[in-house]
Amino acid sequence: MIARTKYIPDGKKHLKELPILHYLDAEYLYYPVTSARCPEGETCVRGGQFVKVGEVIGTRKGAFFEQPMHATVSGEVVGYENHIDQSGKVVNCLIVKNDKKYELHESIVDRTDEEIDALTKQEYVEIVKEAGLVGLGGSAFPSYIKLDSKDPIDVVIANGVECEPNLISDYGLMMTSPEMVIRGLIYAMKASGAKRGVIAIKKKYVELYERLSFKLKEFPNENIEVINVGNYYPQGWELAMIKEALKIKIPQGELLSKYGVLNFNVSTLASIYMAVKKRLPVLERFITFSGDGIHNKTFRARIGTLMTNLIELAGGYIDEEKPKVLILGGPMMGTNINRDDIVMTHTTTSLIVMNEEIVKEEPCVHCASCVYSCPVQIQPVQIMNAYKVRDKDALKMLEVSKCIECGLCSYVCPSKIHLTEYMRSGKRFASK
Amino acid sequence: MQTVKQTSPYIRKAVSTKRMMTDVLIALLPVTAFAIYRFGFDAIIRIIVSLVVMIGLEALAFGMLHKAKKEGTKIEKIKSRYEEYSINNVITPAISGLIFAMIIPSKLPIYAVIVGAAFGIIVGKMLFGGLGSNIFNPAAVGRIFITLALTPMFTGTYVGVDLVAGSTALSTLRSGLGFPGVLNSYPLMDMFMGFTPGAMGEISALAILIGGVYLLIRRSADYRVVLSAFLTFIILIVLAGLRLYPDQVLSYTLMHLLSGGLMFGFIFMITDPVTSPVTRPGRFAYGALVAVVVVLIRLFGSYPEGVAFAILFMNMFVPLIDYPKWSTNKVKPVFIASYVVGLIVFGLVVFFGVGGSV
Repeated sequence: MIARTKYIPDGKKHLKELPILHYLDAEYLYYPVTSARCPEGETCVRGGQFVKVGEVIGTRKGAFFEQPMHATVSGEVVGYENHIDQSGKVVNCLIVKNDKKYELHESIVDRTDEEIDALTKQEYVEIVKEAGLVGLGGSAFPSYIKLDSKDPIDVVIANGVECEPNLISDYGLMMTSPEMVIRGLIYAMKASGAKRGVIAIKKKYVELYERLSFKLKEFPNENIEVINVGNYYPQGWELAMIKEALKIKIPQGELLSKYGVLNFNVSTLASIYMAVKKRLPVLERFITFSGDGIHNKTFRARIGTLMTNLIELAGGYIDEEKPKVLILGGPMMGTNINRDDIVMTHTTTSLIVMNEEIVKEEPCVHCASCVYSCPVQIQPVQIMNAYKVRDKDALKMLEVSKCIECGLCSYVCPSKIHLTEYMRSGKRFASK
Repeated sequence: MQTVKQTSPYIRKAVSTKRMMTDVLIALLPVTAFAIYRFGFDAIIRIIVSLVVMIGLEALAFGMLHKAKKEGTKIEKIKSRYEEYSINNVITPAISGLIFAMIIPSKLPIYAVIVGAAFGIIVGKMLFGGLGSNIFNPAAVGRIFITLALTPMFTGTYVGVDLVAGSTALSTLRSGLGFPGVLNSYPLMDMFMGFTPGAMGEISALAILIGGVYLLIRRSADYRVVLSAFLTFIILIVLAGLRLYPDQVLSYTLMHLLSGGLMFGFIFMITDPVTSPVTRPGRFAYGALVAVVVVLIRLFGSYPEGVAFAILFMNMFVPLIDYPKWSTNKVKPVFIASYVVGLIVFGLVVFFGVGGSV
């Protein structure tokens, strides 16, 4: 097919119909001391110490920021163990034994509306920083840095597009608790001084549009609207989403705040609401099991839950004897992992288990489907050829660094060539 | 449980090269059927010879290009050379073979068919590395090779000229009958249906269009090349017609469109993705340039016909069009401007340059 591919089958229909199981009873919970963005970290509790929900148990240190870790259950600190986190790396985790009482820490008290009205921008930033909030769409970028921007902000946009197949976490959140998203958006607007708020969702989610619009009627004084964007992939990429929802064209590599735009994932906004109103860090997230190698289930589970517990609860794998591909995240951009003792972190929302399918690569016939489909308008096939001969100049001329690794080039290739992998290698090679 | 290491993305679209190539074969069916209907056994034997030579030599060359395993019996060693041999190594030479058979005259001696097909597949394709690596269209390479090597068979000094190619509308135009006299011997309707002399598959515009519509609907060919080539060709020929025969522009244009290998070449040969540029503007430019060269050869060249020449000639420029420094997939204003300026320049050249009986 020599044509641009914009739609990919999303496989969400049957996942949306799954009941959400609320899972609380994990015996032990694990808290990674480090993360992909924070290569260092330390805990501030001792073995045997009793911690409560919301209590700070340590700090992760990134290049230019620090991030507190919070306990999501109450119980006793019992030690350390190595497990895998969202990025697929083995990390050292602090273990807390769940006493199943879920006592809240003394600092966790609701703020009254008057208190919230009196908050200044700096106080908002401080709250978000102390709650350890990160971009829950997958980037895990500290939210307070975005909020602390010096540029004047005109509009805060809530990204609810979730364009990857198989992911329904944001959808589930907006359907079950739209109020949290809307209130979080209002807080973000207040904090940044923006006059306008926008929630961007996919056109085909008619039920979601109605739910959000109906809920918005309770907030007549706020300038917030729900905007439908196309059902394409990768529409959830912030630049594509902003271009379609706000008609603002932002070049790659520029800061959104320069154009007066502040972009948050809807889950991040809900977490801002929890932090501001209830002084709680992120405690729970939706996690969906999908793919043909596992019983498909959706859970609401606490951060720190070990995935093996959930897999067991879901009924285990299907066709255990077949080799499987384990993916954290979506099937287009997710991380491949080789163990299933994954610790749920802030950005873990999906586990896909697929039975392995062997695809045979054929020679490239220059059909240019990859070039036509590329959302950033670069030329994957030429980059592949340039990388094969290690031509750094050509790679730079072809602007390989623009690639967002959305995976469309590999997806559309009729010869099944793994172009995205060439893009990644090409990027690394060109920047060496 | 056994886990497998892969990198994202983990899913693939349900398309394949095989499907794309099979579509081209299917699109060639009407033309082939018409050739067999018109020329009967002559056509069948040349199609089969061309297919056998192309597929066989591709298989042979494929084995020579791939290394054998060190151990094992002789048979095993030979087998190991063909481990990566796939259905595409049959379908693609079959396409080239069929296209080659369609652009030769029905009375061409069998040895000439063999020589052309062999040259096309070996020099035009396998020497470059086989599927996906060739710069030139293999069928066009084969055709041009026999045109040049066995010139008398095509130009008429060869004994029994009418047996070989017959006088086509274009060669009659050239030989002095002139326009519109040529239309008396070659009515436009006959040229559209295919009841005129000419190469086997090139004569029936109707059969070609059926195949072309199928190709474009299935998106197995890029409409951009086809659109751009036809557009440019029509504009330039209309300009020439306006200068030469102002009161018969329409029939002059139609005659040029329907005669020679134009339809066939513009639908089946320039859409070959392997020898096309890989960007949107690149493909528009490529189609337009092929059309310009065809027009220049037809109006100013010494050959009556030039589609295969034009395609080979522009194949050489594909790497230049795709050169990383300027190739881009965005259709920028500067591209549209240069496209229009190019059309105007060649339009002026054609308008003020044409003369004589063309």
